[in-house]
Amino acid sequence: MENVYIPFSSRILEIKQHTDIDYTFKMEYRGEVKPGQFFEVSIPKYGEAPISVCEIGDGYVALTIRRVGVVTNEIHNMKVGDRLFMRGPYGNGFDIDIYKGKEIIVAAGGTGLAPVKGIVDYFASHPEEAKSFNVLMGFKSPKDILFRESIENWSKTIQTTLTVDRADEGYTGNTGLITNYVKTVEIENADEAQVIVVGPPIMMKFTVQEFINRGIKEENIWVSYERKMCCGVGKCGHCKIDDTYICLDGPVFNFTQAKHLVD
Amino acid sequence: MGFRMDVERFDELLTELQKNYRIYAPVLLKGKGRYSETDTIRYAEINSIKDVVFDKKSVFSPKEVILPITQTLFYFTEDNVIEPKVDEKNILIFLRSCDIHAVKRLDEIYLRNRFADSYYAALRTKVKFVLMECEKSFENCFCVSMGSNRTDEYDLFVRLEDGKVYVESKNETFDGLFKDEENAEVSPKFVLENETVVKIPENLDQRVFKSKMWDEYDERCIACGRCNFVCGTCACFTMQDIFYKDNPNAGERRRVWASCMVDGFTDMAGGHSFRKKYGERMRFKVMHKVYDFNKRFGYHMCVGCGRCDDICPEYISFANAVNKLNDAMKEVE
Amino acid sequence: MLDINTKQLKKNAFRITKERGKTAVRIRVPGGNMHVKFFSVIQEIAEKYGNGTVHITTRQGFEIPGIDMKNMPDINKMLQPIIDGLEINQEAPGCGYPASGTRNISACVGNAYCPYGNYNTGELAKKIEKAVFPHDRHVKIAVTGCPNDCIKARMQDFGIIGMTEPQYDPYRCVGCQACVKNCKKRATGALKFENFKVVRDHSKCIGCGECVIKCPTGAWTRSEEKYYKLVIMGRTGKKNPRIAQDFIKWADEESVIKIILNTYEYIEEYIDKEAYQGKEHIGYIVDRTGYQEFKKWALKDVNLGPKAEVAQTINW
Repeated sequence: MENVYIPFSSRILEIKQHTDIDYTFKMEYRGEVKPGQFFEVSIPKYGEAPISVCEIGDGYVALTIRRVGVVTNEIHNMKVGDRLFMRGPYGNGFDIDIYKGKEIIVAAGGTGLAPVKGIVDYFASHPEEAKSFNVLMGFKSPKDILFRESIENWSKTIQTTLTVDRADEGYTGNTGLITNYVKTVEIENADEAQVIVVGPPIMMKFTVQEFINRGIKEENIWVSYERKMCCGVGKCGHCKIDDTYICLDGPVFNFTQAKHLVD
Repeated sequence: MGFRMDVERFDELLTELQKNYRIYAPVLLKGKGRYSETDTIRYAEINSIKDVVFDKKSVFSPKEVILPITQTLFYFTEDNVIEPKVDEKNILIFLRSCDIHAVKRLDEIYLRNRFADSYYAALRTKVKFVLMECEKSFENCFCVSMGSNRTDEYDLFVRLEDGKVYVESKNETFDGLFKDEENAEVSPKFVLENETVVKIPENLDQRVFKSKMWDEYDERCIACGRCNFVCGTCACFTMQDIFYKDNPNAGERRRVWASCMVDGFTDMAGGHSFRKKYGERMRFKVMHKVYDFNKRFGYHMCVGCGRCDDICPEYISFANAVNKLNDAMKEVE
Repeated sequence: MLDINTKQLKKNAFRITKERGKTAVRIRVPGGNMHVKFFSVIQEIAEKYGNGTVHITTRQGFEIPGIDMKNMPDINKMLQPIIDGLEINQEAPGCGYPASGTRNISACVGNAYCPYGNYNTGELAKKIEKAVFPHDRHVKIAVTGCPNDCIKARMQDFGIIGMTEPQYDPYRCVGCQACVKNCKKRATGALKFENFKVVRDHSKCIGCGECVIKCPTGAWTRSEEKYYKLVIMGRTGKKNPRIAQDFIKWADEESVIKIILNTYEYIEEYIDKEAYQGKEHIGYIVDRTGYQEFKKWALKDVNLGPKAEVAQTINW
């Protein structure tokens, strides 16, 4: 019987720093992966952490890792050429086919941009495959903005809206909560539009509500959940909500299902 | 096939079995109870049927034999992972009907639920069950309500009565072992009623989350997790990575039992957590045992062994919480 | 006409009271626990000879006031079933208590039913009573089940505090840290969490057993051996009241009793012969001779176990 807990070792190909605490690690990987899926990433002796895939490319996956604990702290000390242990990918991920040909709006708060970045990347490079594509991104402050380069590139082919909760000196862009921008985002056909919302629990709650207020159908709203996970394979029980294992049945859920997920 | 023999003879056969089996049973641990000069009953290896405690319920369930409290998954060296060796011996467990039903729940999670867990499987496939009968229902048992009072999923049944051991063998593996013993009619008696009766409302669903019934547990529960640790069906674990003090380059990854009642169960790196109130944790646990496990797997998780009620230092009754769901559903409907 | 030897009266566990000719009798109850059947004797004495009341003493005895001194012989006869029942050492039956200097050995309920009690305090109190009574020297001893010290053992000449040495099974530990948090909050912070398991600092551990009580998986259990902390020379009173200090930690029962007995010899040697009514708290004697001299006498022929730790010096 296969031992699902044994990780494989993967080389760090590239490290990109976004903020003081957010780095993206390009990891050597060959295999099927979907945006929204995650890997259990570990440094032996320090522990494992579930990290969602933010970019998928030939021979690699990129993982954006925020320094928030023992494991991620240690990972941030690693250099290009060093090795991390990984297992996965786990979870269902986003099914791109659902969104093709539709009017698509993505709303991402903070690190919530990482799991949906793969979707945005795809449609930014294939804008003709969507009726329209609009990505709304909210960060706490200008220094928390992730993927600046990508955002720059996306704006050439798709609609992007970037906002920060608190501006600082020299910042000239949008300010205010992401929900304010949901109120004004252009929606051509609310019956058909597909919406993806990912971010902190509070942000997701209010943003989804705002989209519903705008007439978006619940079955056209998609969210991605983040919960404590120790195994990724439906055993450890930490991520279970009701009869749903986030690691097995999610982390991506249609809102008609997600609205029943009460912790 | 049924057999009858002296205790001494049975112990001889036990010794014979020990060549291939580790034999676990509930035993009395003197002075190892929570309080001074109190005893406890837990699972441990036995060498004689006289070691087995038949007349009392064990405090902890037999699950620790198959799902160790601390289990090393693998060892790290500089850049290698090595799995620990698996003990070659098979396993015999003396346990009751409810406990056999409980193992089925563990199987559901660890052998199925999309992925199979090789560590659990390695131990589980070695296990054979020795049924212990319950002469009468113990305090807090509600196996009849949960339908776990009967089983035929055992390999051996053993009864100790008036200095004689009666054995029923349902597994041909043991045919040779008992072939020279005196034949006898042996079959287990099962408990047919319990003082505690539990009724799960038929219309139970998530609406009950809104009931006020959970609020009292905010105050009463102390989030110690004893109910989970003694439970035969609780299966959660947490991963731990450790390094060796004398050689920081080496270490191990292991898992330990986890409890959804204890602080930290939902803590994510970065500080977010869920179910901060103890009443919410109680709700999560109760609903898992009598609602959502059933929704996913088609039968209830709780087997009604009542160990959670036996152990709660705050005298919270899980059984009563389940019964309170009936009024709670009326409240929210 | 009353002609009473007050010295003998006091020695016999009676007392001089405010009211001339009236006395009160003190009933000692080692360990503070007795069968209720003896209550009827107390009731009868109080109703027949006293004023119908009984005082519950701070040392866990009873004192029946309002007794005419002339009735003392009758009272002593009536007390016999209690003296027998509580197995009090006596010189002659029917003559009441042979001494009152060494006070009743008081005790908290201990492990009889208190969850925190680390040993059977009642039994030890009785054992000590058997060993030291009767004695005229003014010695106060109390035994308590755990460092909560509900009996106020630290107000005594000898206070005995129950200890258990927690035994840790790392395999059973799930790392919930209930013990670590509790020890920090309610005891001495002797536990810390290291590499996902708990490490106990023996030098900080007071053997209260709280970790055993808090542990949800039975990873912590009690040691087979019972240990005691002996605290000494606490006292109340006018001159210089103070709290008893740690003399020996992790001591065994036998040594504790032997040390108390040795101390009586030390008292005989060093007591102020001019002391008022021959009564001097041992603490004042120790103040005079120094702790080292006391220690020498107290530990004579005592075989402490390997775990015992004797204080090098004590500063009260």
